[in-house]
Order: sequence, then structure tokens, then C-alpha cells
Amino acid sequence: MRREEASAAAAAAEAGTPRSPDLHDLSDDSDYAAAAAASSSHSAMRSDLVDQGSGETAKVDVVYEKERVTIHPTQYGSGRISGKLRLYLQQGSLFLSWEPNEGVDSLSSNSATMEIEKYRNLYTIKALPLSDVRFIRKHTPTFGFEYIIIVLSSGLAFPPFYFYNGGLRELFATLKKHVFIIRSDDDPNVFLVNDFQDPLQKSLSSLELPGVATVANAMSRQNSLSFTSSVDEARHGSDAKHGASSSMTEYVSKQKHRSNDPGRDLSIQVLEKFSLVTKFARDTTSSLFRENHSSGGHTYGRQQQEYVLDNRANDKYKDQQITPDKDSLLSDSMESNKILAWGKPREQPLSVDEWRSFLDPEGRVMDSKALRKKVFYGGIDHVLRKEVWKFLLGYHEYDSTYAEREYLAVMKRTEYEAIKSQWKSISSTQAKRFTKFRERKGLIDKDVVRTDRSVPYYEGDDNQNVLVLRDILLTYSFYNFDLGYCQGMSDFLAPILYVMEDESESFWCFAILMERLGANFNRDQNGMHAQLLALSKLVELLDPQLHNYFRKNDCLNYFFCFRWVLIQFKREFSFDQIMLLWEVLWTHYWSEHFHLYLCVAILKRYRSRIIGEQMDFDTLLKFINELSGEINLDRAIQDAEALCDQAGPNGAACIPPGTPPSMPIETDGGLYVQEDEVM
Amino acid sequence: MAAPPARARADYDYLIKLLLIGDSGVGKSCLLLRFSDGSFTTSFITTIGIDFKIRTIELDGKRIKLQIWDTAGQERFRTITTAYYRGAMGILLVYDVTDESSFNNIRNWIRNIEQHASDNVNKILVGNKADMDESKRAVPTSKGQALADEYGIKFFETSAKTNLNVEQVFFSIARDIKQRLAETDSKTEDRTIKINKPEGDAEATTLQKSACCGS
Repeated sequence: MRREEASAAAAAAEAGTPRSPDLHDLSDDSDYAAAAAASSSHSAMRSDLVDQGSGETAKVDVVYEKERVTIHPTQYGSGRISGKLRLYLQQGSLFLSWEPNEGVDSLSSNSATMEIEKYRNLYTIKALPLSDVRFIRKHTPTFGFEYIIIVLSSGLAFPPFYFYNGGLRELFATLKKHVFIIRSDDDPNVFLVNDFQDPLQKSLSSLELPGVATVANAMSRQNSLSFTSSVDEARHGSDAKHGASSSMTEYVSKQKHRSNDPGRDLSIQVLEKFSLVTKFARDTTSSLFRENHSSGGHTYGRQQQEYVLDNRANDKYKDQQITPDKDSLLSDSMESNKILAWGKPREQPLSVDEWRSFLDPEGRVMDSKALRKKVFYGGIDHVLRKEVWKFLLGYHEYDSTYAEREYLAVMKRTEYEAIKSQWKSISSTQAKRFTKFRERKGLIDKDVVRTDRSVPYYEGDDNQNVLVLRDILLTYSFYNFDLGYCQGMSDFLAPILYVMEDESESFWCFAILMERLGANFNRDQNGMHAQLLALSKLVELLDPQLHNYFRKNDCLNYFFCFRWVLIQFKREFSFDQIMLLWEVLWTHYWSEHFHLYLCVAILKRYRSRIIGEQMDFDTLLKFINELSGEINLDRAIQDAEALCDQAGPNGAACIPPGTPPSMPIETDGGLYVQEDEVM
Repeated sequence: MAAPPARARADYDYLIKLLLIGDSGVGKSCLLLRFSDGSFTTSFITTIGIDFKIRTIELDGKRIKLQIWDTAGQERFRTITTAYYRGAMGILLVYDVTDESSFNNIRNWIRNIEQHASDNVNKILVGNKADMDESKRAVPTSKGQALADEYGIKFFETSAKTNLNVEQVFFSIARDIKQRLAETDSKTEDRTIKINKPEGDAEATTLQKSACCGS
């Protein structure tokens, strides 16, 4: 099949039938205004040259070729489109092309295939003259593949091209041989193309290629005559750019009248949107993904992918597949509720490639909700936790850039050292007159040697990481002197330090977490009481029979869930499991209080034993404590999701405002009121 | 003659609830682990909330089921842990002989007991980590004994690590509580009030007779 097509194309070229290739080129190049305009000019040139002999039109000299150059139109791995990038010479000019690989993944559903094919055609580049390129930005991220952003003179940018097989260095080396390209003074990762700021340089460049220049100018004039009225010409002269623009306008208009193809309509809509974009790469790329996410077709495609991943055979879903238009009209919330009614199966962790697809070229997270959804259902590949946790915890803003984050890290490190020096500078003599400091230091010293010592990172005597743990907790007790130190804080900090592997960043992530969970450790335990009370109401709402059982057996204080809630299940799961659970909780995707629904889910899972064995408070407490290490985490999360969905707004109403981990409600001007300890 | 059948049907003769309190890190959980499981570990974890362990001992021919509650030592958790004081029949006040502040806080812990526990709760003072090198000792034995005398309670220095006096502490307070319960049994014999046990009336009657014979 492919060889036949290739043969047909070759035969057409050899036969020297100019009309057919012209139509084909125009059709494929409709994806980009600039590319189409350039191609139009290119086609005109070729058409004119046909008269001089067909042999010349076939001369193409490929000077660079690289496979597995991939674009990421969606955040799903299955949506990646791999292709071949080429640089080739024709009639003395350098052109760039990118064509997606042939063939479709047979595992995809038909609808998903249609969706992917749209992107495939949308992003194909047939023949882009390098003379139309303003600059190329190169990115070499810490994780993942190198990629480039190509920005045209018009300001329009192509989506990032990821080089899965390397070859970026050779690309730039080849470019330098054939076009004028220099590194930008402002940004070493930006390479300016055709930057002829020096008038003399420009003149010299023109003089080097007198024949080509003459031909190009002639073609421009012909285009102007063909597509513009005399009035327009009189007003704008013989400006080549205007001619190209007019040509493009005419072409788009014709396409509108000619076709009813939905795919083509989508292409034209996207094209029209692109024609309005005159900003630099980051805005263009952000708009690209944002617009595609909001389109109905895209929503439908995403549903299909989710169904495929679910591997569910269900009448409801079959009906939905039969009426795709109806599906695309569903509201987001309705769609979400239907799909999630039974608690979706767990997914694979966020991968490096997926993470990269969430970022714009300057490092902003383009769709934080989609990211949080991905993390909620699959967690995070461990190598990415250091980076992604900073966003989930709120240390990094989703719309911050790489540069802003690097600056923040430097500033925060300085601030951390300043706070740390407060207690480092206390001499042993002064400590004798500083009872509270000695008490806190004593508590912390005792607790860090009793925290996660079975984890290799913290095991053994004289472990440096244990000392860092101690230093961070002691620094925090000065940073938040009123809250101070409380047992359980080391349970939260230990996994954070393990992930961050940096004292300052661990401190700030921990401090931000304590903004939400500090009330768990208040002296009056008001944060804990609020959560246990909310839990009681949720059980009453979601399982009245279990609630009545607890009431009859004097268990309504829910003290048997104290440890679960105080340190968010830290003692109930393994170290690896707790990192997964916490990132799921920190997404706040379903609720800021998802951990309470998790409590309900676990209690309901064991309700038959609790009620069946008529457990009194003592027996229930012993039973719950001994569930440690026995709970199926994935199933518990799925159950909790189903319960959260079932509870809906009524569930939220059970949880008063300000209940941790919601941010505290400011009172007394935000002053942190803590009475001194009696002891 | 009736005694063997009665014992054969019961798990225990007395259920005694004990509570371990004291500053964080003095070794409450290690004492409990040593007594209930016969083991010791240096890599313990902090107690979050509350938990208990059970061990049944035989004392003067009676089977005593000990339910020993272990609490988080930090003062900040008192609103949770003091909820369990009321149910305790005996309380072990634990300090660390190498940590003077934990000894000084015993007075505060006793005040807590007076506020939240039953009036007649049995108490015992325990100075743990007595195995430590003498150079690290911060509380002489004599000071511990003096404090115990002041409150009229018994005093032991223990080591969960070396199992020094651990059995003695628990047996001592259990014996005292059992004696107190037995005396209560005698006083209430004529009123035929049931003892807090799952046995039926016949068992209670039999046990009362046994108590009478014992006294």
C-alpha cells in the first residue's frame, strides 16, 4: 500500500504533471498560514520552471534527516506523533519538512484513530523555507528529551519537536552550513536565523544570489497582479509580503466554499485562530494546547481513550459510543460523574514524557487541573517527584517559569540559612537560660532517631540525613515559634526530605504543608477535633448503620482514627505507598479532605467484621491499629473516590470551613494564638 | 472442689487495665514491649495516639488479664490521652533516670491523674534506663525513692533493655490492684453485686465463696 502510493507520487513527479502536485501541496499545507503562503510561492516557482524541463523540478538534495522526531499534541502517551524531520536543498534554497510516520496503532479505537489522524495532518510540514524562520529555540531539560521550537517571522510558532533519537547538534551544524544563523546575545538557547540587521550585510547577501532574487521578485509581482485589485496595489505598492497575505486570504475563502469535510473545517478554524496570533513562542504554544483542549472533538477523543484504558464493556458506554455527537455535548461535570461513578481503576504514574507535555517552553504548567487529575489517578514516577511535589504543595506556582523558579530557590535558600542561624548561634551557656529551646531540642533529638530508621536513607548510626532532619525541624520550631515542634511532624518531614534531597527546599515544602496541617498539632488539638467531628458526620451520611453501631458502643469520638488523621496514614502504609498516597491527597482533585473519605472507605471495607464481631471501643481500637500494613491502598483510593462522588455537596457540607487541610480561617488579624504550656 | 470447673470455663479471673504515662522518650513503649513480648529494640518509633497490649499472668493462684495502655508522651496530646485515664485501674508513672526534666515533670503528671483518673487508682513510680552508665545518671535513686515516699507509692528503677525489674513492676501493681479488688469483693459480698466479669451468676457466687474462704 505505502509502496504503491510512493510509486504513484514518484510517477506523477516524473510525468511532469504540474497541476496534480500543486493541488496536493496546497491541500496539505493548509495547516499553517505562513507555511501555506510559502508553499504557494514555492509551487508557483516550480510551475514556471516546468517549461524549462521536468528534470530540474526533481532535483532535491537532502542534507539532514532524522527519524523519531515527535510532537505531543495531548497529554496522553498515545497521542504522541512520531515523524521524520528533513532539511533539503532545492534551487539553492534550504527547506525544512516534518512528516508523521505512516500507519496507525491497531490497539486504538476507531474514534481515537480519527482524533490522532487530525493531529497528524494538522502538524505536517511539507516545505518550510528557512528564509521564513525568525529563530529556533533549543531546550535541553534535566529530564526527558531535547526539543526545539521554531518561530516564524510572522511570530507564529510550531509546536515543540522532541528529538527522541538525538541529533539536535547535527541539525544546527547543518543549518550553519546553509543559512545565516547566530546565537542570541539575550538567550544562549535562541538561535536567530536570517538576522540581517546590517544593511551592508543584507546587500551583500542579495548580491550573492542575484538570479534567485530576481526570480523571487518576479514571482511576487505576478502574485500581486493575480490576487489583488488595482486599488490595493496602488495603496500598498508591490510589497511581496502583502501579496503573499492576499494570496492566502483568497485561498482560505475558496476552501470555505468548497468543502464540507469536518476535519478540514477544524483545520480552517485552527488556521484562522493561528492567523490572529502574533505573539512569541510561549503564548502561541499555550494557545495551541488550550484551544485544542477546549474543542468538542478533542473532548470526545479523550473520552474514547479513557474508555479504552478502562477496558470496560458496558451498555452505557456502548450507547455513548454509538452516539458520539451526544457525548461531545456532555458538560465536564456530567462527563466526570458518569465516568467516575464506580471509582476509576488506578493508572500508570505520571511519566517524564507526560510531564514535559504539561509544560510550555518556559516551564509553565499549562493545565494544572489536567495535571492534578493525572496525578490523582496514577501518582508520579519517582524521578519526577522532586519537581512535581513543589507544584502540588504550592511552593511553585503553576504559572511560574523555569527562570522564576531558579530565582526563587536562591532567595529561599538565603532565607532558610538566616532562620537556621537563629538557633545555631545559641551557645551552650545561653541555652541554660532558654528552657523552651532546650525542651524542643530535646524532643526533636529523641524523635528523629525514632523516625523511619528502617528506610535505607535514614538507617544506621551517625546517619547524616538524620542530622538534616533534626536541623530542619529545629529551624521550623523557630520559624513558627508559636506552633513549635510536635510529635508527628517528623513523620511528615521524612518523606519530603527523602524526595527533595535538599535541606532548604525540604524546609520550605514542609513549612507550606504545615500551613495546612499545623492545626493538627495545636495544643488545644482543635484541628484534630474538627476533622474527627467531620469524619463522624461523613460516616453518618454514607453509612447510617455503621454510625448507629458506633453510637451504641460509645465510639463516636472516633479516637480510634486519631493516628490515621494526625499523620495522614503515615504509619498504616509502607514508605513507598505513603509517597503515592500523599501526592494523591495533595492534588485536592476531588476534595481537600479526601483523606476523610479514605477513612470512611476503610471503615466500610471492614464494617462486616466490626459489626459482626460486636467490637467494643477497646477491641475496635486494637483492630484499627493492627490494620497497619494490611490495607489495600489502590482499592481504598478507588472506594474513597466512589464515596466522595456519592456524597457530593452533602459531603462537603459535613466539613466546616477551615477544617484542616483547608487553609485556616484568619481571626484576630491572623495572629497565632497559643497559650503557653502549663508544664 | 468447685474451683477447677470454674477456672476451666473462664479466660481469666480478673481483668486489670493499666496505663503507662510519662514524658516522651522515657521508654514507656519499650517497657510494655519487654513485658508483653519479652523483646527489646533500639529502633522504636514514637507513639502516636494510644495503643494497648495484653498479657495474662498468674498471681496467687488467680489468672489476671492485664490490658496495658501505652500513650503518646507529649503534653500536646493530653486532650486525647486523658480520655483514657478514667478506665485505668493502675497507672505507671515513668521517668528517665538520665533526664532530670522527665523526673521533675512527674509532679505534673500526678496532677493530671488527680484531675482525670478515678480517685482510688493505684499508682507506681518507675525510673527507667537504669542500665545506663553512672556518668549519665541525672536522678539519684534516693531522689526517686523520696518522691515516691512523698506520694505514698511504690518505686522501682528498671531497664527495658536489660529486663531489670520489669516483671517486678507489673506484678507489683497488679498484686496491689487485685488485693484492692478482692477487698472490695469482700465488702460487697452481702449485697451480691456482680464483679466485672463475663461469668454468669453461678460463677460469681462461687468466686465470692472463694474470696470469703481466702480472707
